[in-house]
This record gives sequence, structure tokens and C-alpha cells, in this order.
Amino acid sequence: MSPASCEQPRVAELSLAIAGVSAEIATRDPHVADVVRERYKGFLSGDGAAERPRWRIELDAPTSASPISDDVVVRPDGRPDRFVVSRGDLSGTVDLAERRGTASLATPNEFAVDTFLRIVYSLALVDAGGLIVHAASLMRRGRAFLFCGRSGAGKTTLARLSRDATLLSDELSIVRITDRGIHCHGTPFWGELARAGEDCAAPLRAIYFLRQGPRHAVEPVSPRAAVERLLPNVLFFAREPLLTARVFDLAATLVATVPCADLTFRLDAGFWEVIDHA
Amino acid sequence: MPERFVARNPLAAWRVWDGEAVILLPDDSSLNTLNAVGTLIWEAADGETPLSVVVGRICETFDVEHTHAERDASGFIDQLCQRSLVSVSDSPAPRA
Repeated sequence: MSPASCEQPRVAELSLAIAGVSAEIATRDPHVADVVRERYKGFLSGDGAAERPRWRIELDAPTSASPISDDVVVRPDGRPDRFVVSRGDLSGTVDLAERRGTASLATPNEFAVDTFLRIVYSLALVDAGGLIVHAASLMRRGRAFLFCGRSGAGKTTLARLSRDATLLSDELSIVRITDRGIHCHGTPFWGELARAGEDCAAPLRAIYFLRQGPRHAVEPVSPRAAVERLLPNVLFFAREPLLTARVFDLAATLVATVPCADLTFRLDAGFWEVIDHA
Repeated sequence: MPERFVARNPLAAWRVWDGEAVILLPDDSSLNTLNAVGTLIWEAADGETPLSVVVGRICETFDVEHTHAERDASGFIDQLCQRSLVSVSDSPAPRA
């Protein structure tokens, strides 16, 4: 019997699409398959490929020793467009040219799966003119609003206060710049709300940088100030010059095109009135 | 004083808004913002323009005394070197 024929069959092939970037998730581990089915159920197009996926992501049990670092490390591995990914609970590779990601999950739970998918999508989206941003995003009257800020800035609070808005994300939002305009997309990457956004998109109306304060106020900021606020909130791990330049260009285009402002808000939904009149 | 030539780190991503440069380095994802004088030096840092010429531009543009401008520019370039944003050579960079 050849070594190839000893290989375990894939138990699941699931089609995932986030912000228009589709991926086939393949795994031999039934537990991982269950995690993917449950965690990303709003973004799956059913078992088997309903549409032809552009990316292939393989998630499996570890075949070698686990990395020792708890930090996410993404580094070029010497081949063009190929990166090695490691964290305490996973190790893998992402190949941008092949549109392929592979990961060994030491602990095959939703945190490890989600971490790897966030990394893959942060890289895959750049080629599609997209950025993942530490931001809540909400859709209201057919337009999307991005609320940007680090942990504790109030992203989840703001999402909770917005009962008449459609949730796109309370933690990690996706913005894509295409020839059809700039759109904000719903994502399954959640924060304290523990709820995925809706799988939909809307034109991005404005970007707000969050500050909690005693009153609601909107203060426009210049593109230079906006890019200084935005870039530290862009989820991007690869320290590779060409990709970094592309991310910088996308961020620069974003702040030059979309109105940007500081939003001071207190803990009630009245901030929408200030936004509506901005 | 021997002539010096300053060259931007070719890996840096940067853009100028309202006369002020914002620079991102891929090595450490550090973000640097320069004021108007710093931006003039940064934009002139092509590896071919002598520092004496850059100092002359600073004096013309910002109406400062030459000795003062030269001292401040040298100190600023040393800081940029420490952050790996530029390199300094005593000869011009070969044309590409």
C-alpha cells in the first residue's frame, strides 16, 4: 500500500465566504468541522462547493511540535508570497500565490480556528482591496458606519446601543475598495457581543474614531490624522514590504475618500442623532 | 565639512498630507509623522541631493539662519537613521 493511500480522508469540505472572498475549508477532524459549521454558519454556503472557492484552507491536528510563542507571528518563509504562521495553539502556512492556507491546530477549538482564519483573511483581502479593521460596523438606512477603536474603546457598547441598526461586526470589520466603491462588509469575527454580523455589505458613509465622554460630539479629522488613527487598528501581521505598502495605500485611499471624524459618545443611543446631523 | 547624502529606506511606505509626511516601516509596523521641515528633508532624501543643498532649501523655505538649519537638520537625520528610516553616505547613490 502506498503512503498516499494511507492518508485519512477529509471528513468535511465547507464553503465559506467573507466579504466576497470565498474559501473551501477542508479538515479530517470532525470536531474542527463542527466548530466551523457552528461558528461560521451565517457565512457558509453549505457542505460541498456551491460556488467555486478561490481559497483553500486546511485545518488539522498537529503533525509536529507546537510553537512556544503565545504571540501571533507571521513571517515570510523565503518563497514569494508565502508566509509561516505560528502561535501557541497553531502553526501553519499561507500561500498568497496558491491561495492556500494550512494549519495544524494543537487545540482544535474555535479560538484556534478563528485566529487562523483572521490571519488568512487579513492577507487574502489585501489582494482584493480589503482591510480588516479593529472596529464595530453598523448598517443603517442602507449605509455603513465604521466605529474604530482598540479594546475598551466602546465598540461592543456602541453596537448594543444601536438596536435599529444592522450589525456588521462589534469587533473586526472589513472594508473593501473596489471599482464599485468603498463598502463595509459583515463578518463572523466577533468581540464581547459573541454574535456574528450579518452577511451583507453597504457603502461606507463615514469612519468614526471612538472616545467615551460626557456628551455626544462629532469632530472631523484631517486625512493625515485619520490615517494615524486608522493604521494602528488595521489587523495586519505580515512584515513584508510590498504587502505593507499595499495596506498603507488602501488606508490612505480610505481616509482620503470617506469622511473621518472623532466621535465622543456617552452611554445612550443619542450619538446617532449627532451622526445624522454631521 | 564633508558632503553627505541622505537616502530614504526603500522599504518605507509613505504619503504627504498638508505638507506633513506619514511613514510606515514594514519591519516593525512603526508609524512616523514628520513636521513641515522634516518632510522637506524626507522628500529630498533621494540619495543624490547633497545635504548642503537640502539645508539651503530649508533656509529659503522657512527663513532660518544657515548654521541653525544645518545643526537641526543633522540632528534630525541622526534620529531618522536611528529609526532606520534613512541611511547616510558620503557619496551620491548610483542612479538606477
